[in-house]
Amino acid sequence: MAAEYVSPFDERVRAAEPLAPRPASVQGQHAVLLDIRKNRGAEFLDRMETLLQEAGASTARMTKEIFSKPAALGLIDEIAGGGGLVVEALAD
Amino acid sequence: MADGGDGRGARTDRGAGAGTARGAGGVRGPAPELDVHGTGPGPITVGGLTADGGAVLVFVSEHCPTSALALRRLGPLCQAWAEAGLAAVAIFEDPLDLAIRTARRLGWSGQVAAQEPPYPASRAYRVTTVPTTVLVGRGGLVTGTVTGWDQRALAGLLYEAGRRLGAAIAVPSEAEPLSKPGCSSKAAIDPELAAAMSAHGGGDEPEEMFERGWTDGLPVVPPTAERVEAMLGGRDGGESLGLVPPAMGEATLARVAACAVLAGCRPAYFPVVAAAARAVLDPAFNLHGQAVTTQPAGQLVVVNGPVREAIGLNSGMGALGPGFRANLTIGRAVRLLVSLTGGAMPGVMDRATLGHMGKLGFCIAEDEEVSPWEPLHVERGFEPGQSVVTVIGSDAPLSISDHRSRTPEDLAYILAWAAASAWSTNWWPLTDPSVFVICPEHAQMFRGAGWTKQRLRQFMFDAVRKPAGQLHRGETTAVVHEAAPDAPVPKWASPEAIVLLVAGGEAGRYSAVLGPCTGMGSQIVSREVT
Repeated sequence: MAAEYVSPFDERVRAAEPLAPRPASVQGQHAVLLDIRKNRGAEFLDRMETLLQEAGASTARMTKEIFSKPAALGLIDEIAGGGGLVVEALAD
Repeated sequence: MADGGDGRGARTDRGAGAGTARGAGGVRGPAPELDVHGTGPGPITVGGLTADGGAVLVFVSEHCPTSALALRRLGPLCQAWAEAGLAAVAIFEDPLDLAIRTARRLGWSGQVAAQEPPYPASRAYRVTTVPTTVLVGRGGLVTGTVTGWDQRALAGLLYEAGRRLGAAIAVPSEAEPLSKPGCSSKAAIDPELAAAMSAHGGGDEPEEMFERGWTDGLPVVPPTAERVEAMLGGRDGGESLGLVPPAMGEATLARVAACAVLAGCRPAYFPVVAAAARAVLDPAFNLHGQAVTTQPAGQLVVVNGPVREAIGLNSGMGALGPGFRANLTIGRAVRLLVSLTGGAMPGVMDRATLGHMGKLGFCIAEDEEVSPWEPLHVERGFEPGQSVVTVIGSDAPLSISDHRSRTPEDLAYILAWAAASAWSTNWWPLTDPSVFVICPEHAQMFRGAGWTKQRLRQFMFDAVRKPAGQLHRGETTAVVHEAAPDAPVPKWASPEAIVLLVAGGEAGRYSAVLGPCTGMGSQIVSREVT
C-alpha cells in the first residue's frame, strides 16, 4: 500500500511566459534602462544608453526601490506601457 | 527491442515524401492520439503539439536512469526548440505529481504529461523501452523514433526536425555517455510488477524522500498524512500564511506542518514554527532578497517567553550548537519552508556563494533568567509573559574569547571590536543588525557594574571608529568615500544596529557575534506564538 504524503511543495505548475518578439533593429525604438540599484550597474547602463542612442533609439532611465526586492508592480506597468525595449543591469 | 538489437538506434524517413513516414519498431504514419494528462487546463493533443510545426515526444519513467539522462540532456534545449516551432513533452509512465517533481529535479523545461496503468500512450506508440523519443512532424505524422539514449541518433532526428521546419534545431552535446541502453517500459511488463514499480514508499522511505527532493541534504522524517495531521493539532491545514519567495509557493499551514515533520519537529513545537513562518513571510523581512542572495545569510530565529521551557528549547550550554531537538528542528523547519515551498534550493534559486551551517537551521532561545537586562521581545514591545519569535537575517557566528577583562569598559571594547570585520574589514558603517550573544559570565560583569543594555550598546557604538582614510582599501561604503580622510567613521550606523542577547553555559567566557545580512533592506520581525 503506497503511503500518502503531504508535499511541502506548491505543486501548481505555472505556464512559462513566452519571450516577447525581438525587434530586428533598435532604430526608432524606445528603450527603458532599468537601474536595479546594484553597485556599478549605472555604469553599464550609461554605456548601453550611449550605444542605443547612437543606433537611433530613444531612451529613458528608471530605478528600482532596491536591488534585493522584486520591482514594484507600478514600475513594471510603467515600463510596459512606456517602452518597446528594456535593459536591466546587474552588476557588482 | 523496438529498434535494433541493442535497444537503441534511430530511423527517420529522411528525404521520404509525406505519407511515407515511418517510426522504427513503433508506429508509422499518423501519430496516435495521446491518452495522457498534463499540467495545463486542456488536454494534450497531437494537433495542439504540432500546431507550430512539430513535436518531440519523450517517453520516460521515473525509475529509469537512462530516462533521467535523457531528460537532463534534452531538457535545457526545449525552450530553443519551442522558439523554432518544435514542442517537447515528456510522457511519464508515473503519476503526475511524481512526473512533475522528477522533471523539475532534472531540469526538463518542456511540457510534462503522465499516464496511468495500463499506460495507453506507451502502448499506442508501441513503446517497449524508456526513454523512447518520437518525432512527430507537421500534419501529425510520425517521422522518426530513437530508443534508449543515443546522442548521434537523436542529433539526426533533431536535424531532420530542423530540416522540415526550415530552422536550426539545437541538438544534445557530444558528452559521454554517447549511448546508453534504456529500461523496460512499464507498458511492456507484467502489470503487477509495473504497479509495484510505481508505488511510493514500497522500499526505502528515506531514500524516496531524497528522490523527491524533500530534503535539505540530510535524512528527513517522511511527511505522511497522519504525521502532518498530528503536527497541525486541529488547525486548518488549508489556511494560507502567504507566498514564500522566491518561487512564491503558497505556505498553507499543511505545507508548513509538512516541513515541520520533515525537519523532525514534535507537534508541540509547531506553534513556534508557525509563528516563525509568519515572521519570515512579513514583507519587511525581505525573505526574497535573503533567499536568493550570494551572501551567506541565514534566517536566525530567536525565541523568548514561556514557550522556551514548555518545549525544551536550550538557552544554556551549547546554545548555538548541536544536541537539542527543539532548537535544531524548529530552525530546520523554517529553512525547509524557504528552500522547498519557497524553492530556494542551494545552487538553484539560492545563489549563496558559500552559505553557512546556520542555513540548515538557526534557532536559539534567550536565557532571560540569567540576563541582567530586559529580553529581546520586551525590548520590541511585547509583555514578559508572552512567547515570541524574532527573525533576523544573520551571518555565521564568530566566537569572542575574553577571560581577562576586569572592567565592563574593557569587555565591551573587546566585544565590539570583534565585529570590526563583520561583513567586510572596511565596510563601515553597517546599517543592518549585528547580533551579539553574550555569555552568562560576560553578562554578569555588566550586571555587577550596573550597566544597562542601552549603556552597553552605546559604548560599543562609540568604541568602534576609524578615520575614513584607513578604510579606503578594497570594498567600502559611500560614507567612507565621501568623508574627509581624518573623519571618524563608526562600524555601525546607529546603536540600534547592535542587538544584544544572553545565552550560553554558565562557565566559560565566550560570547559571539553574528554579522548581518547586508544591504537587503531586511528588518527584524517579531511574531507572538499563539
